[in-house]
Amino acid sequence: MKNFNIWYISTFLISLIVILPVITVFFSFFENTSNYFEILKDTFLFEYISNSFILLLGVLFLTLIFGVSSAYLVSFYSFPFVNFFKWSLILGFAVPPYIYAYSLTAFFENYGTAFTILKSLFGEGNYNSYIPKFDGMIGAILSISFSIYAYVYILTRASFFYQSYNLIELGRNLGFTKFRSLFKIIIPSARPAIVAGLALVAMETLSDFGAVDFFSINTLTTAIYNSWLSFDDLVFSNQLSFYLLLFIFTFFIVENFSRNKAKYHSPLQGGFKKIERIKLYGLNSFLAFLICFIIFFLSFIFPIAQMLYWTILYPKNYFDLNIGELILNTLLLVSLSSLILIIFSFISNYGSRVSNSKFLNFLTTISISGYALPGVILAVAYITFVAWFDDTIINFFEINSIKKMFIGSIFGLIIAYFVRFYSLSCNGIKSSYDKLSKSLDESAYLAGYSKFKTFLNIHIPYLKSSIFFVSILISLEIIRELPITLILRPFNFETFATTAYIYASQDLLEAAAVPSLFLVLIASLFIILISKYILKESND
Amino acid sequence: MTKNYLEIKNVDFQVDGNVKIKNLSLNIRKAGEIICLLGPSGIGKTTILRSIAGLQKIEKGSIKLKSKVLSSSSNHIDPENRNISMSFQENALFPHYTIEKNIKFGANRNNAAYKKKIDQKKIVKILNIEKILNKYPHQISAGEAQRASLTRALVSNPDLLLLDEPLSNIDENFKEEIQVKLKKILKEFKITTIIVTHDSNEAFYLGDKCGVILDKKLKQFDEPYNVYHYPNSVKVVNFLNRGVLVPAIVTGQYTLENEDLGIIKGNFVNEHKIGTQVKLLLQPEDLEHDDKSNLQLYVVDKKFKGTNFIYTLRTKSNKNISVFVHSHHVHQHQIDDTFGIKKPIHIKHLVCF
Repeated sequence: MKNFNIWYISTFLISLIVILPVITVFFSFFENTSNYFEILKDTFLFEYISNSFILLLGVLFLTLIFGVSSAYLVSFYSFPFVNFFKWSLILGFAVPPYIYAYSLTAFFENYGTAFTILKSLFGEGNYNSYIPKFDGMIGAILSISFSIYAYVYILTRASFFYQSYNLIELGRNLGFTKFRSLFKIIIPSARPAIVAGLALVAMETLSDFGAVDFFSINTLTTAIYNSWLSFDDLVFSNQLSFYLLLFIFTFFIVENFSRNKAKYHSPLQGGFKKIERIKLYGLNSFLAFLICFIIFFLSFIFPIAQMLYWTILYPKNYFDLNIGELILNTLLLVSLSSLILIIFSFISNYGSRVSNSKFLNFLTTISISGYALPGVILAVAYITFVAWFDDTIINFFEINSIKKMFIGSIFGLIIAYFVRFYSLSCNGIKSSYDKLSKSLDESAYLAGYSKFKTFLNIHIPYLKSSIFFVSILISLEIIRELPITLILRPFNFETFATTAYIYASQDLLEAAAVPSLFLVLIASLFIILISKYILKESND
Repeated sequence: MTKNYLEIKNVDFQVDGNVKIKNLSLNIRKAGEIICLLGPSGIGKTTILRSIAGLQKIEKGSIKLKSKVLSSSSNHIDPENRNISMSFQENALFPHYTIEKNIKFGANRNNAAYKKKIDQKKIVKILNIEKILNKYPHQISAGEAQRASLTRALVSNPDLLLLDEPLSNIDENFKEEIQVKLKKILKEFKITTIIVTHDSNEAFYLGDKCGVILDKKLKQFDEPYNVYHYPNSVKVVNFLNRGVLVPAIVTGQYTLENEDLGIIKGNFVNEHKIGTQVKLLLQPEDLEHDDKSNLQLYVVDKKFKGTNFIYTLRTKSNKNISVFVHSHHVHQHQIDDTFGIKKPIHIKHLVCF
């Protein structure tokens, strides 16, 4: 028990906060619900599950194609703008699926942007019948895929990057054609990374709320939201969450397993040599450029151009919106959350480092499982827990209700963000901490530095760039986040994401364009900073 | 009774509950002595250094420095309060600081509270790292990093310096020069030092005393000459790998006989009764070459070592023995040639087991 110190207590508390929503969902599963469950079971439950499944398959297929093909081309070949595509292909992340969905609809709908373009090019005509309609399931699949294919792209490219030789050349040496090398050597070599990327995609897809809600597709996520909002049945909402969590945790385990496996596919430190890219000429060079350009264009330029077009076309929407207040609200959420997340990440990581305890490592592993929790589930479970705590514990002691403090408040919102994004922050700090050998701490101790002085003089200066990186990453996630903010925000407190959602849900897509555009631009700035950091770190 | 400068008494050195070295006792009698610990990889040499430095606790025994208990089962002084410096095998240079700033970390204690000062500039010059002072650890070679780490440890002016494989990354052609410089610095500034190494040549050159650690125990702790010429067990002989053991029968107070080599004369290091079957240690320099001798063996291998050749010869009973021959010797022998051994054979120390 002598090791039961401040590090244990704080790490235990963090794990407890993160695990509470899961525990809440678990216990709700055994509670009685309203008649809504019976009605739903006989009517739409199968549809919710099958829609979620179809959506998942479609997105997995497209993200696999987009992610692996682009990663393959920029990793192994040299063609015009390859260095630009290397980081710009990540920019799709800046466009959340729901904003992509707005753009897709705005462009292809009857009398939409596509119609306007055709009309201005060829004059009046009945173009609506020729313009394809990407709504419903196809629209949702496309929106989510273009928004999150970068998970597969980033992990696959990292895996290719850390191969210590050009696998195409190795394949040729063994008498393989380029095509055969791709399937026999290159893809198998990156398989764990690809699987890890796809598992992340799967988790995000099953968690998606904004895009499927916009396209009115009934999935498990929308069912959870609706059973809470429309039927006021929190227990049933949590029971649906239980089913969804089972799927998601399967992918969570697959992702973790594959990521660990991917480590063994990477060369040891010191044995890494930068790959020499093969230069492409003529048609091959043009085709490689074209593939990357199309993916980049469709994932980033297309939605941003659509939003920009509407902002310019309807300037009134811009002036009607209180941009200053939205920026301030966003800054408030981002700065408070980043600060709290980083402080706790330091406590947890430093605690693990100095105490060298397996139990503490186990608690840390639990505390990073929060990212697997879909925002909708998290928010609903959070409300359920606070309500239960207030009704039983607080009521028992006859203290004033705490509901107002925790639900519909900035404080409550930040707690929920904490649970959702703690893994990002903790892992971000951890990955840099792990590179700092423990013998460096020991060298400092032997030079007469206390633990605290070592922390201030060695750890903080060494980790300052990763603190910056993690803050940007958290900011990016918070600015894109929709369901948690939507459900838990204080009354009349809006962010770019919620404003865009509210306009879009009222069918005012052109008004949704302005907050969407701002959101995408700020997110793009964050992504550029992140990608520059990663490229610098990896010396790419 | 004279008090020892460093006293390690009956200590079990362990990592995560696994005892690596049992019941080790070792003393450094006076300040400025250099001790080298030799042993195969993974035996626990680094654990000894880490425990002395206070980076690991001990459950049994005690470690005293200048009569002060640093570690025991009930007492543990934190590493930052021991004034012990250590140079790690992996160098442990702070990656985000220049070499100069890294060295200043070591000088921190030197400047603060301790009277005896070590001239930092002098050490930087001796170890030839002036040109890399403004560079970062990732910009220098492994050998330079090792010298920088060594400098950092030296300039802290410690009561005890611990060096873990300090020259393992340094190029062979530069190693000897650094060994000389290191010894000069340690002796000039009277820095009491424990060096851990797997290289017996390094240990024999640097150490005032050498310890050989095998099978979780300190097998031998003595002056380098004695460790080399009077190894106290077959295991030490095998570890040092400097000779072969051949069977022989003790035939007199100063003689023994081997079936291939005949009578061998010399002084027994330990007493053996006449008629006892023993194993005699034959080191390459024990036998002399003589082309005219009637004791002819076959050459099975020849190693050129610069100043000398080491010939491996096969005896009639199919045993391999090694013989040292100066490289300027008149004529060389090839594999399968015959090779004469001078008779009568006289070995100064007869080490038998």
